[in-house]
Amino acid sequence: MISQEIYKYFADFVFKKTGIFYPEKDFYRLDSRINTMMKEFRCDTPDDLYQMFLTKKTEQMERFLIDICTNNETYFFRDNKPFDALVNDIIPQLQEIYPNQTIQMWSCASSTGQEPLSIMMSLKEKFGDSLNFSLKATDISSKALKKATDGVYSNLDVQRGLPVQLLVKYFESVENSQWKVKSELSKHVSYSSFNLLTDIFERNKFHVVFCRNVLIYQNPENKQEILSNIYHALKPGGFLVMGAGESLIGTNIQLEQKSLSGCMVFQRPKE
Amino acid sequence: MKVLLVDDSNSIAMVVGQMLQDLGHEVVRAKDGKDAIAKVNENSDIGVVLLDWNMPEMDGLEFLEYNQKNKILSCPIIMMTTENKPEKIVKALQNGASEYIMKPFTQDILVSKIDTVVKG
Ligand SMILES: C[S@@+](CC[C@H](N)C(=O)[O-])C[C@H]1O[C@@H](n2cnc3c(N)ncnc32)[C@H](O)[C@@H]1O
Ligand SMILES: [Mg+2]
Repeated sequence: MISQEIYKYFADFVFKKTGIFYPEKDFYRLDSRINTMMKEFRCDTPDDLYQMFLTKKTEQMERFLIDICTNNETYFFRDNKPFDALVNDIIPQLQEIYPNQTIQMWSCASSTGQEPLSIMMSLKEKFGDSLNFSLKATDISSKALKKATDGVYSNLDVQRGLPVQLLVKYFESVENSQWKVKSELSKHVSYSSFNLLTDIFERNKFHVVFCRNVLIYQNPENKQEILSNIYHALKPGGFLVMGAGESLIGTNIQLEQKSLSGCMVFQRPKE
Repeated sequence: MKVLLVDDSNSIAMVVGQMLQDLGHEVVRAKDGKDAIAKVNENSDIGVVLLDWNMPEMDGLEFLEYNQKNKILSCPIIMMTTENKPEKIVKALQNGASEYIMKPFTQDILVSKIDTVVKG
């Protein structure tokens, strides 16, 4: 039996750390996670686990909890259109506003790396080596980041959304029917940890921010706060790309909504 | 859509055939490359081919080569095999396969691979 007090402790903890919200009616969704932690930290009962968190919580325990509470679902070229819009519209438009500048991009919930790698492949296929750019990829989940930096994907991973022509071009097969991304692609991506809720955003830095399928887990206040930070992280004229069906509705963010290559994107006014 | 499913394994043919039918496709089964040629002759309206590699009589690669010479098919061909070495994949692509499914796979993967080759 897990007491309300324990549920509440973990729900509050996760909310404070990540913004991911478990309302009381969804407390049961913490059951399997509490069980997973009991196994990991060798606790016999939920009360033991609770006690351990109260008295000798380590950073590793916090990281583990965050890992199991985040949904890292992702796949290559998810929704397709954003990647077309990026190379066909967004980058050419940015090159007009910012001629000869390195295009700075950020995938701010990059999970296990499929999104930044899809960006990379799109750029390589379209521009070869002629484009000057940098790509930063961040996530809150250390487990997801570890897989992203290893760059090793299962047979199933590489069949989700990735055309086989790009698989054989940009990945090499390694042991256990796995595939490792080649360094010509991965060397351009710099991965690091970043918590959208609590970490400090750079300002006026990025030409493009991909923020997809992460704000859906946030309440309206946090969503407003994060989007406002992203607004200021963008350069004037810079673009925000969100997930299919995501929008600025419910916020007062002054980004201009545009349809490019059939994809809804959001541009910071050029001043 | 009519799908030509070429695989010598009855159990694979059954599982994949069922998936395809659940997706609303009509399935024509061939048990190897030779049989596939016969099935192509009997069915002019095949929309996509799912092609195993390792089969008796005529294997998947031989079927691809035969089709490149004789142009019996105009629809896309997807390899569907346990062969997952890059050299093999490249070989199949060079010989006219448009996509490649590595076994084991999920229904989602089957659906999206068929989608991409049919939409072009
Ligand atoms: C569903 S995945 C989306 C991955 C990718 N952007 C896509 O669209 O396929 C959501 C990711 O957001 C991350 N995440 C959740 N809350 C976060 C936060 N507060 N800060 C940074 N990342 C967070 C999770 O760890 C997870 O990897
Ligand atoms: Mg076989």
